[in-house]
Amino acid sequence: VTAAALDRLKERLAEVSDLSRAAVLLFWDQRVMMPPGGAEGRAEALGTVSRLAQERFVTKEIDQLLEELRGLEESSDYDSFEASLIRVTRRDFEKASRVPPELVGEMQRASALALAAWGPAKEESNFEALRPHLEKNLELKHRYVECFDRADETYDVLLDEYEPNMKTAEVREIFDELKEQLLPLIREIGAAGEVDDTFLGGDFDPLKQRELSLEIVRRFGYTDDEWRLDQTAHPFMSSSGVGDIRLTSNFRPTDLTSLFATMHEFGHGVYEWGIDRALARTPLGTGVSLGVHESQSRTWENLVGRSRYFWRFFYPRLQDTFADELGSVDEEAFYRAVNKVHPSLIRIDADEVTYNMHIILRFELEQDLIDDRLAVAELPGAWNARMDEYLGIDVPDDARGVLQDMHWAGGGFGYFPTYSLGNVISVQIWERAKEDLGDFDEQFERGDFGELREWLRNNLYRLGRKFTAQETIERVTGSRIDAKPYVRYLREKLAPQAV
Amino acid sequence: LTVATESPPLERLKAILGEVADLRHADSILDWDSRVSMPHAGAAARANVSATVAKLAHEKFASDEIGELLAELPDDGDTVDAALVRVTRRLWERARRVPAELTGEMAQVNGIAVAAWDEAKAASDFASFAPHLERQLELKHRYIECFPETAEPYDVLLEDYEEGMTTAEVTRVFDRLKEELVPLVARQREHEVEELRGPFPLPAQHEAGLRILAAFGWDESSWRIDETPHPFASKPGFGDIRLTTHSDEKDLTSLFSTMHEFGHGVYEYDIDPAFARSPLGTGTSAAVHESQSRTWENLVGRSLGFWRWFYPRLQGLFSRELSGVDEAAFVRAVSAVRPGVIRGDADEVTYGLHIILRFELERELLAGTVAVRDLPEVWTEQMNEYLGVDVPDDAHGVLQDIHWSVGLFGYFPTYQLGNVVSVQIWERARAELGDLEEQFSRGEFGPLREWLREHVYRHGRRYPPRELLQRVTGSQLDPEPYLQYLRAKFA
Repeated sequence: VTAAALDRLKERLAEVSDLSRAAVLLFWDQRVMMPPGGAEGRAEALGTVSRLAQERFVTKEIDQLLEELRGLEESSDYDSFEASLIRVTRRDFEKASRVPPELVGEMQRASALALAAWGPAKEESNFEALRPHLEKNLELKHRYVECFDRADETYDVLLDEYEPNMKTAEVREIFDELKEQLLPLIREIGAAGEVDDTFLGGDFDPLKQRELSLEIVRRFGYTDDEWRLDQTAHPFMSSSGVGDIRLTSNFRPTDLTSLFATMHEFGHGVYEWGIDRALARTPLGTGVSLGVHESQSRTWENLVGRSRYFWRFFYPRLQDTFADELGSVDEEAFYRAVNKVHPSLIRIDADEVTYNMHIILRFELEQDLIDDRLAVAELPGAWNARMDEYLGIDVPDDARGVLQDMHWAGGGFGYFPTYSLGNVISVQIWERAKEDLGDFDEQFERGDFGELREWLRNNLYRLGRKFTAQETIERVTGSRIDAKPYVRYLREKLAPQAV
Repeated sequence: LTVATESPPLERLKAILGEVADLRHADSILDWDSRVSMPHAGAAARANVSATVAKLAHEKFASDEIGELLAELPDDGDTVDAALVRVTRRLWERARRVPAELTGEMAQVNGIAVAAWDEAKAASDFASFAPHLERQLELKHRYIECFPETAEPYDVLLEDYEEGMTTAEVTRVFDRLKEELVPLVARQREHEVEELRGPFPLPAQHEAGLRILAAFGWDESSWRIDETPHPFASKPGFGDIRLTTHSDEKDLTSLFSTMHEFGHGVYEYDIDPAFARSPLGTGTSAAVHESQSRTWENLVGRSLGFWRWFYPRLQGLFSRELSGVDEAAFVRAVSAVRPGVIRGDADEVTYGLHIILRFELERELLAGTVAVRDLPEVWTEQMNEYLGVDVPDDAHGVLQDIHWSVGLFGYFPTYQLGNVVSVQIWERARAELGDLEEQFSRGEFGPLREWLREHVYRHGRRYPPRELLQRVTGSQLDPEPYLQYLRAKFA
């Protein structure tokens, strides 16, 4: 009977997973392939498919199956597929069944409208045009929060959506430590004088950038059989099924950021790629949390892709391709330029150090908003004041300030902290890999990244969502989330005496 | 205080049909992507996703609730809502006839049989495919049994692609065509037409294709075109039309496949947007659809007027390859009748005989008068009789088409009915619009396109094919205009 119940549950979950993958493909297609005229029809189709995935998950049948399977869960080893599947499904189910479908629909609609307003508002640097939408999103977030048991802090409920089981207090502790360590570091670097990176602006053929990007990620493990790489204005990764990993990057002539964007998205992709294929078509067959996911994109973008030995390997190829632009720039100068630390206005253009201050600022303002300590109308002022306080820069207009990111318009309150948590986690895992394997300098210099990738696959990627994010981090690194290794890494790499 | 919030039946019906359409939209993207952009290794996972989405669409459509709503709704009168109810009722009743197990079994066998066909074709080994074909026929018999009131078994299959069409009518039309086509083909064999000499570089072929599409009136914000080995057109949703074409350096067939798929695409594109997310929002039948692909490929794209306009432009793109070829020689080359063994490569005249042969063999197979194991031999004999060609092997004979491996019996005739219908509609358009070729020679395709939109395309599936044809042409299916067109062009 139990075996039959488990099969039945797997069957039901496989359907839900199939619908989610269909939605993923519709989304990818919309961004990469769809003619603009199809937008209206696509919005309807995406809405229906996502809603059906939800409807077919929160059913009486799945509820009953989970009840019937309690015995099996308890009698099975915690690490087993069966116990993990039932445990994770139950947690997902309990959470999903809290929120009435009407509220889900209302939030989707409101964020779709807000996103539509965000584009023009940013274009015209007109915060007033977005303000009512943000107010509506926040009002709905309050209703969402009310669906759950009272938490220590309201923000806990929002955070849980992106980083399950993480508490606001834990994040605050980590971010306070980052702030305390990074603000002086930024000042020290500033005092040491500016690094020349003028040669990174130029006229770099986008087609050649694409070829170079492919050359890099093929070294990392990209194969034509299972991956593809396309152009979009805002890069992303999507996996519409096992053996089907899709990256996008922004190949534009004015700079070389596409190389880093491609490596970043590769990190997201290789995580999904490395998940144990036996977990496919179940809730376990994806990355465990946004923070851990981001740790891998940051690993391949920064820890690998901005490392000295990576560029020792690849800089000759790059220089060769762009001989006019980089012919007279030596490897050291290039390395320093792509690692330049300099306070700036835009989060996605920020360097490894100041990036975290952009996140901390957003994390703090989000809490002020959801706790009603800050009115939406006061948001631009608060933003500008804190940019001055943390990074010492004046925000010239809202387009380059509070309107720069789409997250809040999309209803994504609680998402931002996962970016910096990813940075922190990335170095914890990295150090653990180096303990096992020694440093990677020689391998990277040879263009060999297979050993690192396989270590990450065996120790992290293959686990998928079998364990919680905390359990996963502890299993991989032997310790809880901890900012110290990350701060140490930044200091060693980027403090003036080390450069 | 409670208020009944139940929506009126028609609104409720439209809401459910909208969801079904959304699932079909997803299915269409899953299919398009698997043929255009999916990494190879994604195939197995994709099969699962497609199966789930298709199953859900079927469940949602063939539901008791739709039946109850239909029972409450009138379907008389010439209104769009009445047409919606009528079309939905017909599709729902057919969907309900077939048990879910049989539907599932058919989908499963299709997956296995198409893979077997692929291998059998590559090895030119019919024997390895024969058991799968037998299985498909057995399933077709079971499918036909779901419709016991239909006296002629083949009618059940035809009805899935061509509402209201009967085997008797197809036979009547095809017999008439055969009578004229067999001797016409035999006479053509005496003319030797010189073939074009390539290679024709692919970028210039793509450019030529885009210029033609631009003149026909495609609009970049709603269309795209890609390369695939087997060209097709699809419309995942309104405002999103996707064509594919197949380009080969050795000839210029890509231009004709582009124009063919444009015909399918423009029919879907010009359907009244008010029909979006409903069963009315697609072409009315396979044959009427094919009539439009054939119109743009052959009646427009192989006409003298079209080439008067486009040939100088094409020569500009292939100045080296086409320098010694004058317009008349070019038109002769792309319109030449050359009996061959492959349907997909066939010219306007021989094409019909490829179809008639398949129609006849399908009926024999279903009736059991030809056994599966004897099929290659019968195929070879018939090819020789109709077209005077020798079939070298099964890959170039009975295994050439994918259709039977995926259970498509009763589909082939719609290709040739499309040819017949295309000329009936064309004659009517000419009667109203005057000298079309003269317009084409100036690069003007707008009047034709607009006339077709007004009379055919915008109606979607509002009228059944028979009624649409009557409305547009004032007559029923009639092979004579088509035969007259062929005689005038090729005799």
